[in-house]
Amino acid sequence: MTKLHCLAIILMMPFLSIGQAKKPTLMVVPSDLWCKEYGYLTEFNNQGTKVLIPDYKKALQEDANLILVISKINELMADRGFPLKNLESILKSLENQSAEDALLMNNEGAEINENPIDKLKKVAKADIIIQMTYTIQSIGPKNTVTFNLQGIDSYTNKQIAGSSGTGAPSFTAEIPVLLAEAVVANIDLYNVQLQNHFDDMFENGREVILRVLTWNNWEHNLESEDFGGDMLSNIIENWVHENTVKNRFSTLDATENMMVFEQVRIPLFNEKGQATDTRRWAFNLKKYLMDKFQIESKLMMKGLGQAQLILGDK
Amino acid sequence: MKTSITNIHVFLLLILGFNISYGQGKRNNDANTHAWKYEIEGIGTGVQGSYQVKIWSIGSSQEAVIEQAKKNAVHAIIFKGFPDNNRVKGQKPLATNPNLEQEQLAFFDEFFLNGGKYLKFVSLLANGSILPEDRIKLGKSEYKIGVIVSVNSAELRRDLENAGIIKGLTTGF
Repeated sequence: MTKLHCLAIILMMPFLSIGQAKKPTLMVVPSDLWCKEYGYLTEFNNQGTKVLIPDYKKALQEDANLILVISKINELMADRGFPLKNLESILKSLENQSAEDALLMNNEGAEINENPIDKLKKVAKADIIIQMTYTIQSIGPKNTVTFNLQGIDSYTNKQIAGSSGTGAPSFTAEIPVLLAEAVVANIDLYNVQLQNHFDDMFENGREVILRVLTWNNWEHNLESEDFGGDMLSNIIENWVHENTVKNRFSTLDATENMMVFEQVRIPLFNEKGQATDTRRWAFNLKKYLMDKFQIESKLMMKGLGQAQLILGDK
Repeated sequence: MKTSITNIHVFLLLILGFNISYGQGKRNNDANTHAWKYEIEGIGTGVQGSYQVKIWSIGSSQEAVIEQAKKNAVHAIIFKGFPDNNRVKGQKPLATNPNLEQEQLAFFDEFFLNGGKYLKFVSLLANGSILPEDRIKLGKSEYKIGVIVSVNSAELRRDLENAGIIKGLTTGF
């Protein structure tokens, strides 16, 4: 009987996951302003132009207060059922992965395929980045902490939650105590807005961006009327209209070579009730164009919430 | 014999009268709570997962107001929240639905019963002692008193989430 029960549970497992949306991942990252303030920006020569980029690794190795703040936020979010991705662990794991990939070879001496785009995409990612800034003001023996938490949706780059404020000045409390207090005072307000964002997402779908481009060696363009008599751009726009929650999207740009759709609200579940994401949703458009009009295309992801479909070739 | 019966009657009437007025006082206090007749101000961040607030309530005696203050504090944290107070950060209510109290009337009636579950999430600070400036006499037997309490908001939220009254951050995922 017990074996039968176990077997039944194992068989049911794939169905149990149906109906649950994909849980967004969150990660705390110090803001560029914080990195500048505390000297953790590093100079990078980008084809002759000097660019300042944050050196998270150095900051995490040298700043004890930063570790404290990140760990406090992690602790409080885990308490709400949302354990966060840890920036330090992700950076280490990316480094190890690169080192392992560089050494990996098969029996014939072939190495792992990695093009420059793949290299560029090897960065710490999360659905929602919690950008954190704090500044400490000291006037004589009196210390004050100003704290700012911003939740940035990686899909749209919109700020979806935030909380900021300056704590009461203190003559006696140490800086780490003031920082911990600032996190505690701000996190609930932040979470209220995060909850509103999730409620909106469940009601109106996840907001993403879709770009449709064309290869320059393709014999057609988006204004071609060789596909059933209608302009290709109209065909694509109609598909987006039919496949968005409450038909919500806006066409930001449309030329003969490219189309950009913003505020595209994609459903959290497909017609089978399975959780879906931007790539799977855009893959349906790729499949539709191939099946109905024999248009080859290449689907690429830019970040987590931006799909790029290039028409004319794979 | 006749005299003793009359004495007993008088005694019983007195007890009954006291009970009726005591019960009415409690009902009035509860009516004040439901009619939002209290004020709340944040006074400190408190320990992790709790809010320290001062609750201003109106009642006929100091003891009654202190007891009602606990109820008012939990009521405020669930339905009202509190604004910023100088450098003390204000907080939004745990309930995001403004009609929650009416929609879950049976649950909250039981929750806020005298001696009910709400007491689990609130405690008096400074042993319930009241500063002289926090005690204001409004009428012949009416006081407005500010009582400082601590509300365990984290546990309160968890309890309401587990009972399915409010949504958690992970609901739906």
